[in-house]
This record gives sequence, structure tokens and C-alpha cells, in this order.
Amino acid sequence: MRIRKWTIARRGVQAGVLALIASPLFGMAIFRGNLSAGTLFGINLADPPAFLQATLASRVFVPSFLGAAAVVAALYYVTGGRSFCGWVCPVYLVTELGEKLRSKLGTGQRVFSLSGTRWSLGITLALSLLVGVPFFEIVSPIGVLTRAVMFKAWQPLLLIAAIMAVELLFARRIWCRSLCPVGGFYAMLGRYSPTRVRFVRERCTNCGDCLVACPVEEVLAPSLVAAAVQVSSGDCTRCGACIDVCEARALHMQCGLPEQ
Amino acid sequence: MDSNTSHTGITRRRFLKDGMLVPLALATAGGCLSTLFLRRADARGFYLRPPGALDETRFVGACIKCGKCAQACPYQAIRMAGGEAGVAIGTPHIIARETPCYLCPDIPCAKACPSGALDRRLDDVEKIRMGTAVIVDRENCLSLRGLRCEVCYRQCPLIDKAITIEPRHNPRTGMHTIMEPVVHRDKCVGCGICENACVREKPVIVVQKSPPVQKDAYEL
Repeated sequence: MRIRKWTIARRGVQAGVLALIASPLFGMAIFRGNLSAGTLFGINLADPPAFLQATLASRVFVPSFLGAAAVVAALYYVTGGRSFCGWVCPVYLVTELGEKLRSKLGTGQRVFSLSGTRWSLGITLALSLLVGVPFFEIVSPIGVLTRAVMFKAWQPLLLIAAIMAVELLFARRIWCRSLCPVGGFYAMLGRYSPTRVRFVRERCTNCGDCLVACPVEEVLAPSLVAAAVQVSSGDCTRCGACIDVCEARALHMQCGLPEQ
Repeated sequence: MDSNTSHTGITRRRFLKDGMLVPLALATAGGCLSTLFLRRADARGFYLRPPGALDETRFVGACIKCGKCAQACPYQAIRMAGGEAGVAIGTPHIIARETPCYLCPDIPCAKACPSGALDRRLDDVEKIRMGTAVIVDRENCLSLRGLRCEVCYRQCPLIDKAITIEPRHNPRTGMHTIMEPVVHRDKCVGCGICENACVREKPVIVVQKSPPVQKDAYEL
């Protein structure tokens, strides 16, 4: 068994993000705000879907808000789109741990389409424009979880509990797979991102370990079966689980154009 | 699996079911939920918003609930609303009776707002309009009862501008003066310091939503 260095790195980043969000509580405000909008080392960051919703809902355009959202969009474009989900989002961390429990229990086997997140993004933006409230920000479990850390607001965590219950009992990872509009946005970015998991065909022994390790079966399998050079799905979170399990080192993460 | 579908492994039935019906079902469910849920926040009562807030409807539209204003407040006067606020869950507000706005000259909360829900160009605390103080319980106001309380007046950061004392004859005793605190709503910023300072158990002066500016009917 190899050292799962991608998973270890990812857990480190996930813990680091939570520590940054909690940092103002301990008087060291390295980071202020949450994942909707924040300031890290004086650089303003904003979640692009949050920017779109607030701008559509209030019809107030703030150029610096657009700039902050563009910085974040560029960052996740370069690092792989749904790398936000796999590496940063605390809800992904929670549902990922829930998934371990669910697979032990063997409950909630249903799966829903990955395209749900894109529908969800479209519906969110349309509702924001029509109703005049940033629709997803009201129900966002990301906001609920980060505000729970920032302000010790525990009561809205019931929403997280509800999502966990649905995932445990009904449909596997339904929130991250099919409902989250932020995931939908980053999936579209990730489709065109230069950072991808690439295959070294000559090393592959066809053992299938990577297919078992991949948390989203629609991501790795089609590209691997189709003899592609890389994972083409935008829903790949670049979590590196496939790289970690490959004994033959036939998978690697690469930023840039594929070597033909 | 026939050759037409083998490259994706998705049948037409699966595509229709998962690609169209499931999202539509989710959208319908979301729409039904939202009609129950999306009520105007101000229909639930008045929230004292931080300085520089847009009018309530647009504020709720523009606020993305990031909490930066609350983190910027040196007095921790800004709290994030919980589930009781409905559609305004997670939006910042001030509970003046617990901690009012102390009107920092640099207005750090408004400067922290990324989305324009709070106007970061605000530079003068006297231009803040969070609400307007109103003496809601005249019968329990000590000053109006003829005692020398005037705590709201003394504590007001805009003393002699937003609250003045108007002496008048006390007809009850016939020989004393009633020192009546009077709020001038063209000057009151709605910081809530008077509400916080009121000595009665239940404050007789509270910040309320600023009334719309009255146009004089004769000014045609």
C-alpha cells in the first residue's frame, strides 16, 4: 500500500480552510469572511455564483466584487474547477465522511444524474433574478457550515443534518452530485481546466483499482475505457484518490496540455 | 448493451429519466418550497441593519451573508440572523438593547462589505440612516413624567442635534418643568445608543424603520 499522499494533502488543505475561516475567533484574522466572500492576506475573494446571484437579485453592480469573483474563478480554472469541492468546500468534507459511514451501512444506494448541478445553477440564477434574493445563499449549507464556525451559530446546522440523513437513507452523495449549484458552476469551469488526471497507458495493468477508488463513477471510467489521454469530465474533483491507489503509477495529475 | 450506446453507457431511457425528469422534479420541489419560504424579510418586523445598508428589499437581495461586517465590528454589535429571519437568514443585524452601533468614525463594517449591500463609500457617520429613534411609550418615559432622566439625550452621540430637550410647563404639579427629549428624524442616524441606554426595564425609546420622507401637500 502506497502512502496516500494526495489524500493526505487534501485533508491538510480541507483542515487549513476550516482553520482560516475560524482564525478571526482566535484574534488572528488572516482570513475574514467565508467561502461566499472573504479576504485573505488583503486580497478580496468572492464566490462567482454568489456574485452572480447578488448582482442579479439586487441589481447593484460593484466592480471590485466582480474582480474578487474573477480572481476565484481564475484560481479554480487553473486548479481544476471542482477542485473547489474536493479540496476546499467543508460540506464536501462532511458528506465525504458521511459517505464512508453510508458505504459501511449499505443504505441509500440510489444515484442521480450529475447534470442536476447545472440545472440547479440555472434555476438558482433565474430565481435570484425573479424573486430578488440571492436564492442559493439562503439555503447554502456551505454558508451555514462556515457561519457555524465563524459565529458559533449551531442552530442552522440542522440543514446539514437533513442533507446527511437524505444521503444516508436515500440517495448517495445527492447534494454534491446533483444539487449544489456551486458544484455546477465549477464543473463547467473544470471541463476546460488545464489541470487534469492523465493516464500513462504503457504502465497500466488494467487492475481496476482506480475505478474502485474514484468517488464518482461517471468521472474516471468513461475516459479510461475510451482510451483517452486524460479524464475529460468536468465533475472530476481532482481529489487524487485514483493516483493514490495506482500501484503501477499509471495516473498522474498534470497542469498544462497533454503530451501526445 | 448495443453499439449505439456503448460509448457512453447511457441508454435513452436513463438519459430522459435522469437528465430531464429528475431535474424537473427537483425544480418543482424547490419552487414549491421557495413559495412557502420566500417572504419579504421586513414583513417579519424591523431589522436594524448595519450602517450604509440599502433599503431592506435590496439589502436582502445584495447580502451574501459572508459575515465580514460582523467580523469588522470592534464591539461585536453585528449579529447574523438565524432561521427565525426566514429569507433573511444569515444576514447581519444589530440588537440595540444588547449592543448598539457606536458609530466608528471609519465605519469598518460598511468598508468590509464586498457586495454593495452596505455602501462602502459612506464616509460620514452623520449620514448613516439605519432607522429612527421613537419614544414609543410616552407614559413610562421618566422625563415625560417630569423627572430629570434625560439619559437618552446625554448618551446620544449627536446630542443637541438628533435629540434635544424641549422644556415645557408641568401642568400636573403646576410649578415644575417637563424636560422633554425630542428626536429629530432628519438628524437621527438610528444607532440605537438611546435604546440601549434607556433606564426603564423595557426601553421607552426604540429605533424603528425610518418613515418615508413626507412631501408637503402644499408644495405642488
